Amino acid sequence: MYGEIANKLAHSAKRTQSLAHLPPYQTDLIRAVTREARDLDKDVATILEPFAGSFNPSTEPATACALLVNHLCMRRNKRCLLAYHRVRSDKLEEMCWGGIDVLERQQQQQQQQANKAGGEGATTMGVDGNSSSLSPEEEEYVRQYSDLLSAYKGQWTDIDLTGSLEPPKDLFIDVRVLKDAGEIQTEYGAITLTKNSQFYVRQGDVERLISQGYLQRLS
Amino acid sequence: MDIDDLLAEVSAEAVPRETRDLQELTRCWVAERVAPELLTWPEELMERVLERIRRQIELVEDQTGDMDPKANFKLIVIQTELERFKFLVRSFLRARIKKIDLFPLHTLALHTASTDPGSTTTAAPLLSSSEYQYLTQHQALLFQHYASSFLSQFPASLQRLDDTTGGISMVDRPDEDKAVFCRALRGVGEIRVEGTERVFEMKRGDVWVVRWSAIREWVRTGDVELI
Repeated sequence: MYGEIANKLAHSAKRTQSLAHLPPYQTDLIRAVTREARDLDKDVATILEPFAGSFNPSTEPATACALLVNHLCMRRNKRCLLAYHRVRSDKLEEMCWGGIDVLERQQQQQQQQANKAGGEGATTMGVDGNSSSLSPEEEEYVRQYSDLLSAYKGQWTDIDLTGSLEPPKDLFIDVRVLKDAGEIQTEYGAITLTKNSQFYVRQGDVERLISQGYLQRLS
Repeated sequence: MDIDDLLAEVSAEAVPRETRDLQELTRCWVAERVAPELLTWPEELMERVLERIRRQIELVEDQTGDMDPKANFKLIVIQTELERFKFLVRSFLRARIKKIDLFPLHTLALHTASTDPGSTTTAAPLLSSSEYQYLTQHQALLFQHYASSFLSQFPASLQRLDDTTGGISMVDRPDEDKAVFCRALRGVGEIRVEGTERVFEMKRGDVWVVRWSAIREWVRTGDVELI
């Protein structure tokens, strides 16, 4: 049925909205929907061919109806595809703003999967060796968007645009170190962040480390 | 204009510029977060605020290392204030970016209209230059992404992203009839809510819940503030 595959995409997009991570890119579905749209376009061309440019809808209501259905389906497919990609790219942008390195995480996931596959036997390697949940186009998009974002952020260096959106209450906060983060420089000298130690530091100095999961804020 | 308005104007002059800037920034920030559509970029205000933030940061940098406890305490006060200012500006900018990303093509059209030299209105540009840059580059990126993912394989007549044929416009618009809470800073007289029979009078100090489209003009002139 026309539009059925696109419907699946729309469902997938809806589901993606409530997920924390990005589900794998539906390459097959995308291809199928695009193919459907192309076939429909060809159909339209074949239907219109005998009329040689002088088609009058009122004299041929049946053909006009067929054309209309084809056109509507093409548009619908396009909208579903756009919606699907938009939801995903929005998610990716959100991650960029949140300071998560999407590409690095992808690589880690791939490596883990590759290791697992390697343990089970090398035969499965060929099947899901490349099971990245991003399409190559999306990876490229993430790369370029991060560049764009840092360019925009660069104009507001004093403000730190990706900083916390919680209104600041205290200048200094208590933090506990979850992972070794090495030495950081603050206005009051250098602090060495070793695991399980606790510090009373200026929030602005450690915000980045908190969002990266090195430190935990104690309230 | 009545006696209250006159009094309000006199007292506004007596308040130093810095305090008024903070008030104005807070007002802009609240308005931007509440209003459904993007508001005009407050160029002069932002320049002053950013300049002050920069000066304060320099001051703090100059004075750290000073071991005098009194100076240290003063620095903490300044830094706390600084953090709060930064938060306001950051949150304000992020609210704008969010709206820009939500309605990119609509915003772009409005911005182009507001900077059109031939236009009769002398309104300030809607976006700052860096926001404009961000918007256009982001759209270019998105278009490229869509095109390389699937759009290039579509028939040429269906490749546009701002198509309005078929009864549905592809350009998303903010909901201008969204209800907002607002307070009148000056008496603005009668307000008509478009599309309804409703007409009401807004006096100084009144708080109303109205459609954004009905009071938009007064928010722009500063007679009404969003809360």
